[in-house]
Amino acid sequence: MLLFFGGSFYMSVRISKKKENADGYMTGGGNIGFGISAASMTATWIWASSMYASATSGYTYGISGPIHYGLWGALMILLIYPFGRRIRAVAPRAHTIAEVMFARHGRSSQLMLAGSNVLGSVISLTSNLIAGGALIDLLTPYTFTQGIIAIAAGVLLYTLWSGFRASVLTDFAQVLAMLGAVVVIIPVVFFAAGGPGLFESGAENLTPQQQDFFSSDAFFNQGAPYIAAVLAYAIGNQTIAQRLFAVREDLIKKTFVTATFGYGATIIGVGMLGVIALYAGVEPLGGDLNNLIPQMAATYLNPALLCLFFVMIIGSLSSTADSDLTALSSIVMTDVYGQNIAGKKRANPRTMVLIGRLTMVVAIAAALVFAGFKLNILDLLVFVGALWGALVFPVIASFYWGRVTNLAFSVAVVAGLAAFLPVRFSWVDLSGGLGLVSDVLSTVGVGIVLGLMAFGFFGKRVALVVGTVATLVAAPFAIGFLHTYPVLSGSLVAYAVSTIVCVGLTLLNKGTFDFALIKERTGDFDTEPGTKSLDDQPRQGEPVAARGEIS
Amino acid sequence: MTVLLTLYVLVWPLVVAGVLFVIGRAFYRELRAAKAEGRSII
Repeated sequence: MLLFFGGSFYMSVRISKKKENADGYMTGGGNIGFGISAASMTATWIWASSMYASATSGYTYGISGPIHYGLWGALMILLIYPFGRRIRAVAPRAHTIAEVMFARHGRSSQLMLAGSNVLGSVISLTSNLIAGGALIDLLTPYTFTQGIIAIAAGVLLYTLWSGFRASVLTDFAQVLAMLGAVVVIIPVVFFAAGGPGLFESGAENLTPQQQDFFSSDAFFNQGAPYIAAVLAYAIGNQTIAQRLFAVREDLIKKTFVTATFGYGATIIGVGMLGVIALYAGVEPLGGDLNNLIPQMAATYLNPALLCLFFVMIIGSLSSTADSDLTALSSIVMTDVYGQNIAGKKRANPRTMVLIGRLTMVVAIAAALVFAGFKLNILDLLVFVGALWGALVFPVIASFYWGRVTNLAFSVAVVAGLAAFLPVRFSWVDLSGGLGLVSDVLSTVGVGIVLGLMAFGFFGKRVALVVGTVATLVAAPFAIGFLHTYPVLSGSLVAYAVSTIVCVGLTLLNKGTFDFALIKERTGDFDTEPGTKSLDDQPRQGEPVAARGEIS
Repeated sequence: MTVLLTLYVLVWPLVVAGVLFVIGRAFYRELRAAKAEGRSII
């Protein structure tokens, strides 16, 4: 750990500046090359929790389990790049998606997105600390608490001074370590556990569903909720948006495609450890599935490879934890201080950097406290993803549809959340009429998720066809059935309600928004002259037609 | 079935190795270009 964090600190010192630039601290100047950006996108998307969760999925659902975790997560990286290009085109110099929402709509939309990002990043930080603490507790003489403190201090050490620039540069080294470890460790564990013969000797340990590559159990309990959740993750997560604003604009597609393959193969590969454990009849220590990966490593790897495994996990959790810290600092710098306290005109870049650093310290302290509760990682992931489901349609629509208003955005998100919570946590009895309503909304949600995926690549017409056909095809199977899967239903209901409300309220608005204004309203904080302030300009909803600015 | 399952487990590290090569090569090129131009890579 000393070597790992010491090396990362050394890298950050090499690029540090006495006076850090506020924009560099948040996005690295928006001109990062393919090698670093692809490495950073891969490293950020791969977190320790996803490694643990993929192995858990493999152990729980059998041979298709890792696919139902890793493949869908990977495809989402691919599916969001068209949206990423659109977002970058309308806001080339932005720092956060919430900042763009401020420029597009106003404060309530911005604060909803910023608030959800703060929640998501703190949960992400917490779950990565939990994963690291569990590993240290299991493999070393140190305790869980000592482990999470050491990791938190290490990540803070190399990220604090240079922010995003340090995060992406160290991501490259962490990706080398992580992916290199995956290349070696998976074959070694496989052959040490018995190699191909394991599939014959251990077959009796699997249920028919676990042996089935097309397991419905795996799809409905893991794959389907995850498809809905990760689309929301990809759209709503500031760590991804931050890299989107940092990479050179012409390299966005290349970066996302490479990260798709890197993430998918790594996470599915690590998930195979869970499948191997299932065939080998391994029981997780204390019945805790979070112990599964460390336990497999301790059982089958020699001391040198165990160190490599340790680096793999520490690398994955550090790369995501530093991204969460920089995401949180950017949100507080831009969305809290830059636009709501000081105002863009009066924001002092040096004060912003100081605020960013203080945010990192507070965030890591909060994550340390929450990590003490040792929550279930997989549940946390799916919960946050579903929560963000309420934001997906309003956010995407706001970048393409000029008639979407601040009211439509805000009411849609609140309504989506209000519908999500009782379904997800079974607060209401879904066996009767309410179950039917939930199923109908969930079925509409299926169409919306698939329609949105099609929209990015093929446009509105194809998306409407895909969404409608998907809803009609799913209806006979889903209605009367989907409410028995609350995790999936909750997520789909959030998509459906937020979309219906957003579309309904948007159709009431006859005005349209000039997207060119976003480029003017967002921009660098370090180059003041000529920058237009939000405070000087008309808000969304004003009759832009009167200004001759209909787009 | 055993052969297929073996391939299924071992194909992922191969893909990872390919991605690692692509990222490593791109980084090296960017580092060289940055040095030649006398600027920081990030």
